[in-house]
Amino acid sequence: MTDDAPAQSVDASRPIAVAARGLSKSFGDTEAVVDLTFEARAGEVTGLLGPNGAGKTTTIKMLTTLLSIDAGAASIAGIDVASRPDAVRRVIGLAGQSAAVDEKLTARENLQLFGRLYKIPSGERTTRIDYLIERFELTDFADRVAETYSGGQRRRLDVVASLIASPPVLFLDEPTTGLDPHTRTELWGEIRELADNGTAVVLTTQYLEEADRLSDSIVIIDEGVMKASGTSADLKRDLERDVLEVHVASRSDLPQAAASVAGTGASASSDPEGTRLQIPLTGGAHQSLSILRALDAEGIEVADFQLRKPTLDDVFLAMTSGGGAR
Amino acid sequence: MTDAQTVSVAVPEPGLGQRFRWAIQDTVTMTWRDLLRTRRQPEMLSFAVIMGVFFLLLFYWVFGGAIAAGAGVDYIQYLVPGIFVITTLTGAQQTGTGLAADLGEGVTDRLRSMPMSQFAVLGGRTIADALRNIVGVLLVALVGYLLGFRFASIGGAIGAIALAVGVGYAFSWMNAAIAAQVKSAEMVGMLSMFWLFPLMLASTAFTPAEQMPGWLQGFAKWQPISVVSDAARNLSNGIPAGDTVLWSIIWIVVLLAVFVPMSVAIYRRSA
Repeated sequence: MTDDAPAQSVDASRPIAVAARGLSKSFGDTEAVVDLTFEARAGEVTGLLGPNGAGKTTTIKMLTTLLSIDAGAASIAGIDVASRPDAVRRVIGLAGQSAAVDEKLTARENLQLFGRLYKIPSGERTTRIDYLIERFELTDFADRVAETYSGGQRRRLDVVASLIASPPVLFLDEPTTGLDPHTRTELWGEIRELADNGTAVVLTTQYLEEADRLSDSIVIIDEGVMKASGTSADLKRDLERDVLEVHVASRSDLPQAAASVAGTGASASSDPEGTRLQIPLTGGAHQSLSILRALDAEGIEVADFQLRKPTLDDVFLAMTSGGGAR
Repeated sequence: MTDAQTVSVAVPEPGLGQRFRWAIQDTVTMTWRDLLRTRRQPEMLSFAVIMGVFFLLLFYWVFGGAIAAGAGVDYIQYLVPGIFVITTLTGAQQTGTGLAADLGEGVTDRLRSMPMSQFAVLGGRTIADALRNIVGVLLVALVGYLLGFRFASIGGAIGAIALAVGVGYAFSWMNAAIAAQVKSAEMVGMLSMFWLFPLMLASTAFTPAEQMPGWLQGFAKWQPISVVSDAARNLSNGIPAGDTVLWSIIWIVVLLAVFVPMSVAIYRRSA
């Protein structure tokens, strides 16, 4: 993984690999996904971003034939999901929390199992498995039973298992949840490379950083509804609001500081553990002056402040109900 | 945006013959996987296999004397073929609990998202359990031999074991249906009390129907475990088996005809 930002533009010349049109799904009275429309293109990573319970996994399950579609339609590589699920299963790979591996089998046996079920001929299958084990660095534990794996090893095998048949469309459901930062960065690099080689990758994440760094295009979902979509740069531009960040010297001042900011007509959000207030500016840069004056008038000691461009975090907070995302 | 071209992968719809070949191939693969899993859990295997020997010794030593009187033959000759059937029946119960646990694991979702025969998930499991049942039955035959049991002929031995394994296989599918429906190993275990014990105890596997209360005799004579026990006993002892073999085969076919499509349908629907 390099630190270069991924190409931040939706390239309309890239062919559409996944098309969801008005997808909806309810469980009883709960509407899990409501009228969701988006596209994912070959050679791009499309991130479905949202807090827990936003409907991301439900969406993935509908697209991968694991759940029936209540309303709307979806097609994968031009194949209608509802009417030809078996054909769709030939062109997709699935990994992450909605899929897993056989705990009682070794990595190699798991890959043999899936390779056989994909009807990959024996010789080709073994070559492919050897290649994947080496390429994704499973060698050290490839012949150990999966139930002995660490979270990172298991996730890595899970992703590799979804690649066994070289699918043109890959679904990764929260692929990096629970991974340590190092393993996560490595996995990002591998996902990026798959996309660069032409695979259409659809991943779900509740990590803003992951969506920001990895995705060419982002779909923000909350409570089953799409709130925004576009590239990370588009989303930030749409927000068009600079953010004033104020660090108060004492944490106990935070509620009072928030109140005095509110008194100026702005709204402040803060993280409960910190000493930092985030204030989206609606009235331009000079608004920050009146806010700082108000804080000063209240006798609140400001340790530091800065004016910055919005991050995806700000977009996310503005678009969703807020909870759960990091 | 929508005027962009679409990735289109030609995926031909497989013909009936192709689908059939794939289903067999997948079932073989899934059987391989289930046997591999069994090998990784030797305690599960030994429990299942030893169950039959446990019943044999229990009934031979504990109840043997009391029951033997009405059996008409030496009790060990009466008991062992019945235990064959009891062995495969308890093995069939494990199909349910094992499958329910399996369906709860994430790997099942992966299998569902793959272009494979959905029948194979259940088919592989039931075949692996049937193979395990054969081991269990052979072990019962071996311990029976040490206790003085003898087959009258090789043909009779093969026939008796085949019928016992066959009816166990049929009940495996009944349990697969239950497991696909309730998806909880605990529930499957509890529900099995309602069919396993009546079928087992109100049967002619351990004791002749004539020794049971009159109201129970009709059920005890005609229920599948009794019919197959009688057939296995007749074949083992070289007694003309008459209709018992035919009725055993009818029971096995009927149970399979009902429960194979039912469990596959339930498994598909619960996707």
